[in-house]
Amino acid sequence: METLSDEILMQKVAEGNLDLLKVLFDRHHKHVYHFLYKMSGDSMLSEDLTQDVFYKLIKYRSSYKNGSFVSWLFTIARNNLKSHFTRNQRHHEDLGVLEYTSVENESEGAEDHSQLQHALNQLDVEDRELIILNRFEDIRYEELAEILGSTPGAVKTKVCRVLKKLKKIYLENI
Amino acid sequence: MRKFTILTLALAFVATLKAQNDYSKSLNGIEWVKIESKANINLRTYDANELLIKGNRRVETSEKAKGLRLVGEGGNDNTDVGFYVVQDGNTLIVKNLRKSEGAEIYLPKTQNVSVKSTWSGDIEIDGFTGEIEADAQLNGSIEIMDVNGPVTANTLNGDITVEFGTVKQDSPISIYSTNGAVDVTLPGNTPADLSLSSTNGDIYTNFELKREEKNGLKSVSGRKVNAAINNGGVNISLKSTNGNIYLRKQ
Amino acid sequence: MEKNHVLELIPEYLDGVLPVEIQKQVEEHLLKCPKCQKEMEEMKLLFNALDTEVVAVPSDRLKAKFEEALEAEKENMGQVVSLTSRKRSNWASNLLKVAASIALLVAAFQMGSLFQQQKVDENISVLKDETLQMKQTAMLSLMENQSASKRIQGVNYIDEFEHPDEAIIKALANRLLNDENDNVRLTAFEALSKFTSSETVKNVFIDALGQEKNPSIQIGIIEELVKIQEKKAIDPMKKLLDEEETQPFVKEQIKTGLPKII
Repeated sequence: METLSDEILMQKVAEGNLDLLKVLFDRHHKHVYHFLYKMSGDSMLSEDLTQDVFYKLIKYRSSYKNGSFVSWLFTIARNNLKSHFTRNQRHHEDLGVLEYTSVENESEGAEDHSQLQHALNQLDVEDRELIILNRFEDIRYEELAEILGSTPGAVKTKVCRVLKKLKKIYLENI
Repeated sequence: MRKFTILTLALAFVATLKAQNDYSKSLNGIEWVKIESKANINLRTYDANELLIKGNRRVETSEKAKGLRLVGEGGNDNTDVGFYVVQDGNTLIVKNLRKSEGAEIYLPKTQNVSVKSTWSGDIEIDGFTGEIEADAQLNGSIEIMDVNGPVTANTLNGDITVEFGTVKQDSPISIYSTNGAVDVTLPGNTPADLSLSSTNGDIYTNFELKREEKNGLKSVSGRKVNAAINNGGVNISLKSTNGNIYLRKQ
Repeated sequence: MEKNHVLELIPEYLDGVLPVEIQKQVEEHLLKCPKCQKEMEEMKLLFNALDTEVVAVPSDRLKAKFEEALEAEKENMGQVVSLTSRKRSNWASNLLKVAASIALLVAAFQMGSLFQQQKVDENISVLKDETLQMKQTAMLSLMENQSASKRIQGVNYIDEFEHPDEAIIKALANRLLNDENDNVRLTAFEALSKFTSSETVKNVFIDALGQEKNPSIQIGIIEELVKIQEKKAIDPMKKLLDEEETQPFVKEQIKTGLPKII
């Protein structure tokens, strides 16, 4: 069972074999958590959101439609993160401010934050997300394109551009 | 080394299969193979991930037709074996253009196949583990051997015979005929929810459904029987309007 | 390649994912071009930082909570969302459970806690709605599946609905009228025949009778329409009677059925 592809496993989950979700959870939950943590800088929040991503997987399993599983999973994760911030936005003036501060707050408190994280924090949310998904969570261009509603070629070009930007910021501060 | 020998043998086998004037096509990215024919269709399995249509030896192109292409109802012969083959999304459509020449077609055993006989051709399918759909729209019969399901089969006038190996539990099995008999063999330990029905025919089975006996098979009178065997499982629906139903324990 | 810088290819070059040919060309260019070389060295530093970044891991609490939620859902599925017919009896027993819990609530109400009762009652109906909603989604999506067996499975879910809404009836009607597979059409017909009191279903049967070629389905529809004495069925039945290709036993059925309607 361990060697079956994510897609086949999810197909079986959709057909009612819920236990196989454990395999999918083991394979992917660290990546989902890590993505959310890198984006939000908040470990408690990231755990809650990850929990919610997999809860949605359980709940909406029958709506899975044969596409790339990883794309589906991270689409849910992104939506979770987005709706968390939009919910909080009601209490703040500006979404951008909130995203910036939420990451900065954390980094003030935790001094062991790396230079790289500082550099990442200075990227736009969109760019940061792209780099995290591609470089840390190993999501391929094809799947990224599915998640972002773009084409693999365009995603590749964009990753390349953002890497350059990140490199510049990183080297300036080192 | 042994593996190598087996591989060579397999390759040699494939090679001999292809020796005549055959047609083959890769099945990369193909989920379903849909076959349509007026004449007999014989589906067999082999180890390559390709569609292979065996050219029928008797079908030498006549002198008059030399250099010309067969123009059929569904399309033109683009295979030189009398078939029209075209990919439509994840489906490969395979049409037999000759009206009276049957064909032997080889596919990998895990392939999902849908076969339609539109005139009097019989459909024979052997050894597939994928999903099978078979439809004999007029006079053809259907025979499916050594199959795991799911199976969907329908005939108008022909009989349907299906022999199952282990029955997959994830998706229903539906076998219907209007005028033909439906004859199905299952392993005795198959868990299933059965629905057997015949409007004008009789229902026979040697599974424990508690009715009177006839020729060793129990005749279950009444037009419709619903019963669970081995504590219930996948839905198996067998139905004939005018023919008999035979459900056999293997 | 000499004149064109390879800046854009450096990330992929470092990842080692370029085709061999291009990989070689980039290497050759790098030997000659200080600008690209510098870019590569810098990018290497970044990649190194990316690779050695400490990876945060979630606490064990996450896995424990996930498994808890999964078990709860399995429990729930066994009782409520029994999508396979094997568990149909459980579904019924769950209805009983809901009924029993409502009875309990009524008792609670009689003991005077009106407010609380309403609240819990609301929750129960929300819960019921949600599982039905999920089943409906599953059913509708299965009915669009490429596999005939899966479509039949979708149609069979009808057993889970006591009062299917219009969307479900429409989807079943669509199967009966338009599905290319005879088995799916026949199964859809059988599912719909439980709801012949619905005006929509009657009209769908009459439409289907006008176009259906499978004699088994024709027979079934005629039987049902005769049973409910549907006058609008007379015309399509007479038409079938006149058609040459109609099977003799279907004609028989019409001949015995027609007088019963009038």
